[in-house]
Amino acid sequence: MPYSEEFKDHVANPRNVGNFDEANHFGVETNPACGDTLKLFLKVSEGRIHRAGFLAYGCPATIACGSAITELITNQTIEDALAIDRQMISAKVGGIPSRKNHAAALAIETLHHALTRADLSIRLAVEAKQLSR
Amino acid sequence: MMAGSRRVYLDHSATTPTDPRVVEAMIPFFSEKFGNASSVHFFGQEARSVVEKARREVASLIGARPNEVVFLSGGTEANNLAIRGVAEDLLTHGRHIITSQIEHSSVRGVCDQLEARGWQITRLPVYENGIVRLEDVRSALRPDTVLITVMLANNEIGTIQPVSEIGALVREVRNSGQRHLRFHTDAVQAIGRIGVDVESLGCDLLSISAHKLYAPKGIGALFVRRGVRVTPQNVGGHQERERRAGTESVPSIVAFGEAARLARLELDERSAHVSKLRDEFESGVCSRVNDIVFNGDMSKRLPHLSNISFRFIEGEGLLINLDMQGVAVSTGSACSSGSLEPSPVIRALGRNDELARGSIRFSFGKDNSAEDVAHVLEVLPRAVENLRRLSPLFQQSVSDRAKSPEEIFVAS
Repeated sequence: MPYSEEFKDHVANPRNVGNFDEANHFGVETNPACGDTLKLFLKVSEGRIHRAGFLAYGCPATIACGSAITELITNQTIEDALAIDRQMISAKVGGIPSRKNHAAALAIETLHHALTRADLSIRLAVEAKQLSR
Repeated sequence: MMAGSRRVYLDHSATTPTDPRVVEAMIPFFSEKFGNASSVHFFGQEARSVVEKARREVASLIGARPNEVVFLSGGTEANNLAIRGVAEDLLTHGRHIITSQIEHSSVRGVCDQLEARGWQITRLPVYENGIVRLEDVRSALRPDTVLITVMLANNEIGTIQPVSEIGALVREVRNSGQRHLRFHTDAVQAIGRIGVDVESLGCDLLSISAHKLYAPKGIGALFVRRGVRVTPQNVGGHQERERRAGTESVPSIVAFGEAARLARLELDERSAHVSKLRDEFESGVCSRVNDIVFNGDMSKRLPHLSNISFRFIEGEGLLINLDMQGVAVSTGSACSSGSLEPSPVIRALGRNDELARGSIRFSFGKDNSAEDVAHVLEVLPRAVENLRRLSPLFQQSVSDRAKSPEEIFVAS
């Protein structure tokens, strides 16, 4: 299956790139098999994600899914964000070749990391900010 | 310039456009002169004569005799016939084959298959420069070695292997009594880009693909030195002196012959042209992009090819970025079903996964221009920058460099 135009657009013009000052939740996951890494930075308050940013290293699908998930979760409640599944990410990028499905799974795992392991997540967010200075 | 308004093809190692002169030569053989070259009547004989003319042209390009050229479907089939054909023919003399770690997948695939069937395969290393060492070939030789198969030039990094030295070694070993040792070289990438002469190379078999030579896909040849036998892999017809059954694809063979003739006449001009573009491109990249690594020996390589690893990013993402701005290149690495398949060639140079994943092959052709190079040099730095901006590896490196004592010293 060839990449769709939306998919390629997310790779060439990724949305919401990088960390930002108000980020208070942080998630990172690495696919142990291929080394692809996704980092998410979120500003969460009163049960809602107000802003999201990402960094990604890996195949185009990892970049496209990272970009897509930041769009999907912005202004969503935590509950709705946690309900995002692979199909929703795939639809957002105009479809993912089946051999690249793991990239959508990585995006969801990273989001869950950022939202559900809050203590660690906040500590990492502080470190990440120090790092980016 | 608007994205998409200019298209620059820098993937001539994957395939080349068919030269208009070649298309013109082949067209009459589709409908007007459609005979089967095996038929006795006029139509057949007309086809036979152009097939033999093309055979002379291909032979002439590589310094062979016409009857040493077997037409077949392309490089992959040539490699299959050469390796499996020799292995099966010399079954009673031994089951050991020497090859390299950087062969094309069609050579690798046949060797892997023979290994599963009981042959023993020695895969020689290539070291950091991407070149096999003659002493390694010598020390890998055994009394039961029946075949050495080492490519003339590599398809990903373009490094030229010491084929004529191996040829001389093979002659020496044969003269000392091991008469059944055969030597095959896959010259698919080299042909039409550097001079290829089967006598000075000393090979018994040599694979060629026409579509790397401005001819269409689906046609190629195997040089089989007089006196060397291969067990046919396609049987059920007398074509190609019983070495490859199947009706000859006359239009494609005519095209191949014409492309071979043009390649012979224009070789020096084409090589000088592509190497000039390649060198301009490389110096332009060096001055515009940091953190890059060139892969493979910088002098013993094909004139049209440049393989560069861009640190902190992955090749396929860069390929898509470049493609969206009209530049076509290729990458050796792939990530499939969540498991990484970094280029085996780049890994064989001793590069880590990050560099193997970030490698891109730029391969120039006779129709590229200085404007093409300028366009690539305009879009490539931006594409690399785009991906690095979102790479956590790059962010980490920026922060590491900021913290390093040297940097602090310079800053103060």
